Amino acid sequence: MKLTITLAVGALALSTLAAGAQEAPPSRTGEDIFAQRCVFCHDARGWGTRSLARRTPPDQAELLEREVLPEILVRHAVRRGIGSMPQFTPTEISDAELDALARWLATRNAD
Amino acid sequence: MSAPLPPGTSQAALDAALEAFRAAVGPQWVFTSEADRASYLDPFSIGDPDAHATAAAVAPANTDQLAQVLAAANAHKVPVWPVSMGKNLAYGTAAPALRGTVVLDLKRMNRIVEINEDLGYAVVEPGVSYFDFKAELDRRQSNLWMSGAAHSWGSVMGNALEHGVGYTPYGIHAETICGMEVMLADGTLVRTGFGAIEGSQEWQAFKWPFGPNWDGVFTQSNFAVVTKLGLWLMPQPEGMAGFTISVPAKGDLARLVDTLRPLRLDDTINATYTIANAWRQSTGGAQRSDLWQGEGAIPEEVVTRRLAERGRGWWNVIFNVFDHVPGGIDLRIDKINRHFAAHFPQASIEHTRWVKGEPQQAWMRQDVSLAPFGIVDWRGSPGGHSDFGPVVAAVGSRVTQVYELIERRFLEHGLDPWVGMFGMGGRALIFVADMLYKRDDPEMTAACQRLFRTLCREVSAMGVGLYRSHITFMDDAEAMHTWNAQDGQGALPALNERLKACLDPNNILAPGKQGIGSARA
Ligand code: HEC
Repeated sequence: MKLTITLAVGALALSTLAAGAQEAPPSRTGEDIFAQRCVFCHDARGWGTRSLARRTPPDQAELLEREVLPEILVRHAVRRGIGSMPQFTPTEISDAELDALARWLATRNAD
Repeated sequence: MSAPLPPGTSQAALDAALEAFRAAVGPQWVFTSEADRASYLDPFSIGDPDAHATAAAVAPANTDQLAQVLAAANAHKVPVWPVSMGKNLAYGTAAPALRGTVVLDLKRMNRIVEINEDLGYAVVEPGVSYFDFKAELDRRQSNLWMSGAAHSWGSVMGNALEHGVGYTPYGIHAETICGMEVMLADGTLVRTGFGAIEGSQEWQAFKWPFGPNWDGVFTQSNFAVVTKLGLWLMPQPEGMAGFTISVPAKGDLARLVDTLRPLRLDDTINATYTIANAWRQSTGGAQRSDLWQGEGAIPEEVVTRRLAERGRGWWNVIFNVFDHVPGGIDLRIDKINRHFAAHFPQASIEHTRWVKGEPQQAWMRQDVSLAPFGIVDWRGSPGGHSDFGPVVAAVGSRVTQVYELIERRFLEHGLDPWVGMFGMGGRALIFVADMLYKRDDPEMTAACQRLFRTLCREVSAMGVGLYRSHITFMDDAEAMHTWNAQDGQGALPALNERLKACLDPNNILAPGKQGIGSARA
C-alpha cells in the first residue's frame, strides 16, 4: 500500500465531512478503513509490521501480505486491541464497518 | 466483566439515565455491551485497566443531543467523562479518572467549521483528528500550516485543551486557542471572548475581550464541555532549518540548557526544542534485547557504550527554526552557529535547510504520522507507556537537579530513564520522563506507580509541579499545589473546587479530572 493512496482516500473522506454532515459517517468499504485507520502502522515500515515481524514468518508480518488472516482475529484485534496495539471504539469503526474490514482482509488475502 | 456503576450512583439511576441517553442520541449510539465497554479501556493502563472501566459510552452528534445528555446526567446524577477523539494515549486514553463514569464520546461532532485563510485561524469541533485536519488543509491547498502533535490520531481540539506540544512556532497549542463555544453542565451554551457579541467577526481575531478571558479556564478542567474551538494557524514560512546538536558528556546538561536559553528566549530558535538523554537516544532502530538482557534498567555504561559506537554524545538536541523573510533563515542559522561556537565549542552541530518551493522532508514534521508509537513495546508486548512531566525553569542548575533525581529514581525502580526535555517557550523545560512498561507485569506497573508518586513528593519539595498526568495520578499531581493551604487544601485547588461547585453542582462533568471533584464517591 503506497502512501499516496492513503492520502487521496483521506482527502476524499474529509470533503464529505467538511460539507457539514452531522449524520453517521458514510459507511466505508473495508479497503477505505484500512487506508484510513490501519495503514500507518501496518504498511511495510510501520510499527505494527515491525512488531509482528518478531513473531511471524518474515514474509507474513505485513497484514496485506498475509496468506491467512481470519476475520475473527481482525475483529478481536480492532475492538479489544492485541498485544501493544490499541483498540478502536465503535464510534471510530462501527460494527458493520468492522465486519466489512475483516471480510475484506480475509478474502483479499485468500486470493 | 460486569459493568461497574458510576461513583455515587445506583443501578436504577444508571438504567434511567441510559434510557434517557438512548432517547436523546438514538439507541445505536449508547454503548453498553461488554465488547464496546472494553473498547473504552485504557490500552496503556498502568496496572489493571478495570480500575478505570466505564459503565457505558454515549455519543451525541450535535449540541442539541449533548444538551439532552447532560440534562439526563443531571436528573439522575450520573457523571460523564467527555472525550474528543479519545486518543489521549499515555494519559488514560478515553478512560475516566473515576471508575464507572460514563464516557461522553464527542467523536461524531467532527466538523471543521471554518478555515480562514486571511486571518489565519480555524474553528474545529472535538472529533476532528490531525489526520482529518491536515487532509482538509491539503485539499484546500491552504497557505496555513498545522502544528501537529506527536501522533496524528488525536484530536486537534483535545490536544490544545490538554496543553499539548507541537514543533512549530505555534507549538504551545494552548496558546493558539482563541475563542471557544462551551456547554455548561446545565446545558447553557456560551461563547467566550468576542464570540459573545452577536454577529461577531472577531471571535478568532483577538484573545482579550471586554472582561475576563475564560479560554484558559476550560483547558485541563471539567467546568464545561468544549464544543467548538478557535485555533490560530501559522502562514507557510519562507524557509526552515532543522538542527541536531550533540554534546559529549553527561555533565554538559547545565551548560547546554544555559546556551540554548537566550536563543529560545529571543526567538532565534522559534519552535520547541527537544533534549534527549542517553537512554532516549539509544532506542532508535534497536530492540531492548539488543542492548540488554539482564534484570532491571539498562545500566548507564551500556547506553553510553552504544552511543560511543554510533559517534553520538550523551545529550542530543533537535529543533526546527522558521523564518518568514526570504533569506532570513540563513541569518538564524548563522546566529545559532556563532552562539554555540562562542559558548559551547565542544558541541557538534548539524543542520538541514529548506526554502519555500522545495519538496518537504521528513525532518520538517509536516506529515501526519503514527511513528512515535514505535517505542511502546520497548520492553516487549503488551507494552504501555506514561510519563512523569515536571515543568522546570530553563536554568541549567535547576534542570540538572531535577534530571539527576529522576534518573536515580527510575534506575532504583528498575525502569530505563527514557527522558526528553521540551523547550516549549524560552523560560521553561517540560520534562517527559517516559515510563515504558510491560502491561502484563504487575510488579513493573506497581513499580511505575510507586516511582511516579515518589517523584511527585520529591519534586514538589523543590517547588516543582507537573504539566499533565495519567488519570491514575490526577489527585497526586493536584496535591502538589500546596501554596497558602487552609485545612490541608492549597488555595488554588480550593478555588477550583469552589468554581466546580458553582458551575456543576451535581459534579456530573468529568469528576476527578485534574483532581477537581474527585471526592464524589
Ligand atoms: C498505532 C499503530 C497501529 C494501528 C493504527 C493499527 N495497528 Fe494493528 N497492530 C499494531 C501492533 C504494534 C501489532 C502487534 C501487537 C503485538 O503483538 O504486540 C498489531 C497487530 C495486529 C493484528 C494481529 C496480527 C497477528 O497475527 O496477531 C491485527 C489482525 C491487526 N493488528 C489489525 C489491525 C487493523 C485491522 C487495524 C486498523 C483498523 C490496525 N491493526 C491498526 C499496531 C497498530
